[in-house]
Amino acid sequence: MLKVQHLVKIYPNGTQALRDVSFEVADGEFLAIIGLSGSGKSTLLRCINRLIEPTAGKILWDDVDITAASGAEMRRIRRQIGMIFQQFNLVKRSSVMTNVLSGRLGYVGTVASLVGHFSREDRARALANLAQVGLEDKAYVRADALSGGQQQRVGIARALMQNPRLILADEPVASLDPVLAHSILKYLEQLNRERGITVLCSLHFLDLVHRYATRAIALKDGQVVFSGLPHEIDDAQFKAIYGQEAERVSIV
Amino acid sequence: MPPTTALFSCPPTPLQVLLCAALVPGSGQLRLGRVWRGVLIFVTAALLLFIVNWGLVNFEIGQITIGSLTTSWLWVPLILFWVWNAWDAYAAASDRSGNTLLGVVCAAVILYITAWNVTDIKLERLVTRFSDFRKVAVDIVNPDLFSTTVQGETRPCSWGCILAAARAGRLADVTPSENFGDIIGRIREVKASGLIVGLGLAQPGQPVRMLVPGKLFETIALGLLATIFSIIVAVPLSFFAAHNIMMRVRGGAAIYYVMRTILNAVRAVDTVIWALLVIVWVGLGNMAGIIALTIHSVAALGKLYSEEIEHIDPGPVEAITATGANLFQVLRYAVVPQIIPPFLAYSLLRWDINMRAATVVGFVAGGGIGFFVVETIRLGAYPQYAAALWGIAVVIILVDAISARWRERILRDQTQAEITAPRPWYASLRVWSYLLLFLALFVGSWTLLKLDARALLEPAPTFGRLVRDFVTIDLSPDVLEIVTKEILVTIFQALLATTFGSLLAIPFSFLAAKNLTGRSLLSRWIYYAARGLFNVLRSIEALLYVAIFVFWVGIGPFAGVLGLAVTAFALLGKLFSEAIENIDPGPIEAVTATGANRLQVIRYGILPQIIPPFISYAIYQWDISIRMATIIGFAGGGGIGLRLNNYFGMLQYHKAGTVVLFIVVVVALMDFASAKLRERLV
Ligand SMILES: Nc1ncnc2c1ncn2[C@@H]1O[C@H](COP(=O)(O)OP(=O)(O)OP(=O)(O)O)[C@@H](O)[C@H]1O
Ligand SMILES: [Mg+2]
Repeated sequence: MLKVQHLVKIYPNGTQALRDVSFEVADGEFLAIIGLSGSGKSTLLRCINRLIEPTAGKILWDDVDITAASGAEMRRIRRQIGMIFQQFNLVKRSSVMTNVLSGRLGYVGTVASLVGHFSREDRARALANLAQVGLEDKAYVRADALSGGQQQRVGIARALMQNPRLILADEPVASLDPVLAHSILKYLEQLNRERGITVLCSLHFLDLVHRYATRAIALKDGQVVFSGLPHEIDDAQFKAIYGQEAERVSIV
Repeated sequence: MPPTTALFSCPPTPLQVLLCAALVPGSGQLRLGRVWRGVLIFVTAALLLFIVNWGLVNFEIGQITIGSLTTSWLWVPLILFWVWNAWDAYAAASDRSGNTLLGVVCAAVILYITAWNVTDIKLERLVTRFSDFRKVAVDIVNPDLFSTTVQGETRPCSWGCILAAARAGRLADVTPSENFGDIIGRIREVKASGLIVGLGLAQPGQPVRMLVPGKLFETIALGLLATIFSIIVAVPLSFFAAHNIMMRVRGGAAIYYVMRTILNAVRAVDTVIWALLVIVWVGLGNMAGIIALTIHSVAALGKLYSEEIEHIDPGPVEAITATGANLFQVLRYAVVPQIIPPFLAYSLLRWDINMRAATVVGFVAGGGIGFFVVETIRLGAYPQYAAALWGIAVVIILVDAISARWRERILRDQTQAEITAPRPWYASLRVWSYLLLFLALFVGSWTLLKLDARALLEPAPTFGRLVRDFVTIDLSPDVLEIVTKEILVTIFQALLATTFGSLLAIPFSFLAAKNLTGRSLLSRWIYYAARGLFNVLRSIEALLYVAIFVFWVGIGPFAGVLGLAVTAFALLGKLFSEAIENIDPGPIEAVTATGANRLQVIRYGILPQIIPPFISYAIYQWDISIRMATIIGFAGGGGIGLRLNNYFGMLQYHKAGTVVLFIVVVVALMDFASAKLRERLV
């Protein structure tokens, strides 16, 4: 169970990105986070694994206070939280294999990892995870030689290396075409259903939310303006979230 | 009246803005919210005021006597500048456009007339003393590299002589001269070394013919070792000077600022000046040369490296941090892979620069070809000097070409598709052969230079005094006055040299631009000739040119200006022509399509594209010239270097400290100003 309580984030330049955000996520949920650009989705997701320091509020994960964790504790928590990014954030000049193995860094010793040593099991696991996303034949190719969709699958494989109990996905499909978007989200859905990994995923298109999410919350100007089941977002709700002039668009 | 009071007591109506600006230059523009312009005008006005007065008092520049009043006519352009500033503010306040050019012209008149006088420009000497130059020039085209024996007497044999010998079929009589041996190397009979015996090539004690490398190889080794050492030191240091890394560490911000300041200060002091300091520590010799080169190079590389670290893509850093990795793992997996290509490229660039510096560091450090050159100059042995120049040119042109080619390859950074797991590095033959080659070069260089690391541990007794005197530098008014004067002369030298260099480089650069010269055979030849000229001239350091000009126009700042101008011309010629080659053909096509003629095409299609990069490069060159101008005094080129050398020679370290402080402040300021100006241009 993940509990976010009265979360506030004010950036150093004074921007109020989150104002008193509270919600809960049960284990095994696929929670979609929606909202306009600039509504605070990325900020919220990054506060959960403290890539961004929250200004106030608490985040409890199985009653452990993430916001109070010290450096080493925080790294132990982070290694159980996989993260997937809109821009994939692969190290472009490293091989796919190295990128996937780097998901293991929280578990292995510093010295061994600095000289590039990973155990036999870790390497086998990396190949297995690549096979799961259908990229076993690309293991030794440099990451920048892959297409966007392939790079995102490497990103998923990297997250899987962490053996995560929770996955944070920040607009994982926003840089991909509609067909690829479905294939990536299907992987996330599969992980959610088969391995019981909780997924928090920010999305732009409502029909993707309907199709994959078990629950949704909507942010507007850093506040939660909706929380409920995906199909409960009707026209009135939609206008409240996206503004009066907004119109529904859909993705194939 | 202090500017701040004026600033707030002036309401922004045009007339009052005008009054405001008339009282304090720049304040009118400030009042209108044009901060940059206002500050620039204020600073310029203050500087001009100082310079006109300083020039009048110290050099009687523009001095005229009207009745009983003795003053400088340069006050006139200063007053015009003042008036222009008021008018500019007025125009801006009433929403009309001003004319910046007028202000620039007023300032330029003052600056250039002052520069001309203080650097003692005497163009007529180029003509009146041409016969002196001709003697040197003849020696320079006929270097002492070969000799021939005529009736038992060894005579130097230059190109004409070689050609004649070849015609007569007696080429075998032409042998490398003694000087050739000193510079490049000679074959000698020596006792077989342990290595050769070990390889089974000779019996122990048996004499074998070996190449004894000359000064040129010593110089190559100097540049190579200094580059290796500076890379080793600069790589770790650069992380402490990278903002994005240090912000992740507690207390990192303070370390960052301290590191940046140190790097900038160290970088501001030229290698040759570092050599002056280092010889007090380790004594004359190659060791001093290496240390001086390394110190400067560490600072320069450290800055470039850390800027490269700051420019990495933050995405992977975020992603690796999110996996629970610690700081070292983040550096290893997210930062290091991204910085390898730029680091390699900068290291190669630095190797090139270090090789150039290595050719002159011996001027004061004693060692390599630089020391040889000093000796030949002292003896007036110009054919020997010329041979050294030729040797240097060949080596530097080669180094330049190799470094440029490698850098290009690295930055292209091709991806190779591999299907199987790559072999680990320790199982790769290529890695081992590179390592072996590297080791051989390193050991070879170290032995050739006869380096002894123990010298580091035994600083000369005066070194303690040097450190003490540098902490308690002499800031008494008369020292300050002398140093201010010399540093201003140095700045003006750089200004004139850059101006001369750019003016000359502009026409030549058009000849060296592939896209403009056309396809005919003649124009292809012109292209190669111009490019070749730039490359040859660029391979020789300003200090070495100054040594020639001293002979031509006499010792003094003018010789320094000329030496600097030649290097400025060579570098700017190359940069300008590359800028021309990089222009976008689109606009030219578009202007041509409107039916414009050739001149119109140049005016509207080409000039707008090349003027910004030209100005930017000229400012860049001005920054380089200032740095070089601080050392040309060592070869008789005047300026602050001469004064520094004297203070060191007389062991007046506390005064030398003042000079070094001034150099650091001025060079760092100019560096900052030039970077800011260029930033605004692009
Ligand atoms: N590093 C930062 N410094 C200052 N303000 C920031 C920073 N990052 C984000 N913001 C601001 O915080 C607010 C929320 O940004 P956030 O990136 O969380 O929105 P988002 O919902 O993810 O938007 P998008 O859909 O465009 O990704 C925005 O107003 C943004 O401008
Ligand atoms: Mg976002």
